[in-house]
Amino acid sequence: MKLELGNFYVKDVKFGDITAYANGILTINKDEALAYVMEDEHITEADIVIARPGENKRIIPVKDAVEPRCRVNGNSVFPGVTGGMTPAGNGRTHALKNTSVLAVGKHWGSFGDGLIDMSGKGAELTYFSRTINVCLVADTDEEFERFEQQKKNKALRWGAMRLSEYLGNAVRELEPEEIETFELESVMKRDAKIKELPAVVYVMQPQSQMEESGYNDLLYGWDTNRMVPTFMNPNEILDGAIISGSFMPCSSKWSTYDMQNCPTIKELYKEHGKTINFLGVIMSNLNVAMEQKERSAIFVAQMAKSLGADGAILAEEGYGNPDADFIACFDALEDVGVKTVGITNECTGRDGQSQPLVVLSEKANAIVSCGNVSQLVDLPPMDIVIGELAALGRDGLSGGWEGDDKLGPSVRKDGSVILENNSMFCGDQVLGWSQKTMKEF
Amino acid sequence: MKKAILYINQFFAGIGGEEKADHAPEIREGLVGPSLALDAALKNAEVTHTVICGDNFMGSNQDEAVERILKFLEGKEFDIFFAGPSFQAGRYGNACGVICKAVKEKFGVPVISSMHIENPGVNMFKKEVVIFPGGRSAAAMRKDTKKMAAYGDKVLAGEKIETAEEEGFYVRGIRHQVVDFTLEPAAVRGVKMLLKKLAGEEYVTELPIPKSDRVEIAEPVQDLSTAKIAFVTTGGIVPVANPDRIQSASATRWGMYDISEMARLEAGIFKTIHAGYDPAAADADPNVCVPLDALRAYETEGKIGSIDSHFYTTVGTGTTEAEAARMAQEMLPFLREHNVDAVIMTST
Repeated sequence: MKLELGNFYVKDVKFGDITAYANGILTINKDEALAYVMEDEHITEADIVIARPGENKRIIPVKDAVEPRCRVNGNSVFPGVTGGMTPAGNGRTHALKNTSVLAVGKHWGSFGDGLIDMSGKGAELTYFSRTINVCLVADTDEEFERFEQQKKNKALRWGAMRLSEYLGNAVRELEPEEIETFELESVMKRDAKIKELPAVVYVMQPQSQMEESGYNDLLYGWDTNRMVPTFMNPNEILDGAIISGSFMPCSSKWSTYDMQNCPTIKELYKEHGKTINFLGVIMSNLNVAMEQKERSAIFVAQMAKSLGADGAILAEEGYGNPDADFIACFDALEDVGVKTVGITNECTGRDGQSQPLVVLSEKANAIVSCGNVSQLVDLPPMDIVIGELAALGRDGLSGGWEGDDKLGPSVRKDGSVILENNSMFCGDQVLGWSQKTMKEF
Repeated sequence: MKKAILYINQFFAGIGGEEKADHAPEIREGLVGPSLALDAALKNAEVTHTVICGDNFMGSNQDEAVERILKFLEGKEFDIFFAGPSFQAGRYGNACGVICKAVKEKFGVPVISSMHIENPGVNMFKKEVVIFPGGRSAAAMRKDTKKMAAYGDKVLAGEKIETAEEEGFYVRGIRHQVVDFTLEPAAVRGVKMLLKKLAGEEYVTELPIPKSDRVEIAEPVQDLSTAKIAFVTTGGIVPVANPDRIQSASATRWGMYDISEMARLEAGIFKTIHAGYDPAAADADPNVCVPLDALRAYETEGKIGSIDSHFYTTVGTGTTEAEAARMAQEMLPFLREHNVDAVIMTST
């Protein structure tokens, strides 16, 4: 499987008469783009707003981030989601780098939504302060969940994916500024030299803990709650086979953009043939019942062992209950002799004194830690709010609150906010960007 | 100039060794023994008083000792409190920890101590007290005191406190996130850690997992019909007046109460003082937590031999493993003396 990612490095995004890309400038015909988005009759009103790194802007409630891309052969970027069931991970895909399309609620937020500041202290706590964000700010007719804390946010999330494809199509026929090639030979048919290197798998545990469909991460459109772990080529992950869901407290969430650019996969590719023999991805999941958690762990360990893995990197999209899946999988891998490194965040409480993971195991002796979900974050007002600031306190976002005896409301009258890291948009970056760690104080 | 007070034991006050270990608490104005070194090392404070207490007095009359010392301190102006250094001396380390914790709770001032890593006081108090690693014996007095003083100066000056590693004190189990753009991204850290683990080389996990002190499950009781059974609970069931003043959370005290004449634990006579769960059900019927009624039925039916004359109780919420283990050690002689064959542990 050979994936070519053709990259176009965007320096700025502007509105103009035609949607096109030239000399680092992405121009958007706003009316045309919005007309495309509003082909979905569930979107009742929509606008596109641009937010650049360094600007005095706050974006909330953000539901997902997507990198604008197109598949050169004309297939949809997200098979089984925005188009037909076609393979991902092979062939040429073009990407507008440095940009992301954000799904932003015009009014309404939900548990898994997050906040992005484009400058200041808050900007350090999310990756998406570094991208030029094309914000799709919209409202929908999804009345059934208007006042629910948990929302599927389907129209908005699909809207962002479709807008990302619309923008991506601007570079479909252009020659990329750079081509990244990702190619893994069949596990069996590799050079003797590569086979001598320690064999490594990447085990992903995407969020799949909602029993009802519509909230979980989707794999080729399939609910990850309704699968057992399976073996995948890493190119599939980098090329739209998986999309983010709408459930997990936001700092723990893996956005669709994060998965399209998964830094851990890229790092493993970099070392492939040099220090390791990268076998591929074991796509697991996160579960509700103990039996399900253990079943998935058994599948993962068996698959790793059968593939001949010596080592594994294991990452979970979540904290709290999912720690049980994470540790079960860690134990199962170590038990079959696969040396494992886990990547996760922690929940040590506002005072830092709680047990970092719900479940601990002495076998989990190698962990990269990406932050504390419950760290308090106090941020000054921003000149411009994209979306609706009140959502943070009003709509049950995981890191916000209406009022607190000691701390007062999350959203203050002057526009400053206090929240838990939980609601920093995809802030803990467990897929590998994270330049946070945990220290003892 | 800010003010500091130091706690030391009878030995370092020059009163005497083991034969004087029952020395009752006292407070003296000015500098006694190690206070001199501390006062000399401190830049931002002077040591105004020295509290002295015999190690045995603190060990066997802890509540009284703490009460008396807190009373001495009432009305005294002080901005910071030190204890020790206590080196490898176990009882002295315990005393330093006990008094630091009490002073911090009552007066809200920073409390600082120093102990050798093998001093049991380290594990018992490092969560509540900033404790610096110290030497084995008094030969390290000057060095250990300087460390306490330097940190004290920093705290008094309102300077930013860095990580436990950078400051040099024992980790307290307080974990906060750090944003560091000089840090390699998690993906790189993860792959590097894996390469080292695969090669059998040393690596440093970013989330050290505390070693769990697992207790093997006991062998089955051979003959229940002749066995004497006792209840031990961390569910906080106590006589309503809570005569032993067991704390509702982070307990350090436990109690044992006579149930030899009781068929069941009656509401209104027993209740729970545990702050970690909704007490309604256990207050209405304490047997849901300590099921004496059910065990009495087994006793009548001859399924078990007998029930211990007492049940043993404390509160589990927030209670450290070290304190829990100590309390269990204190319960054991009674269980042995009562010839108990098996214990039913109940939690919440």
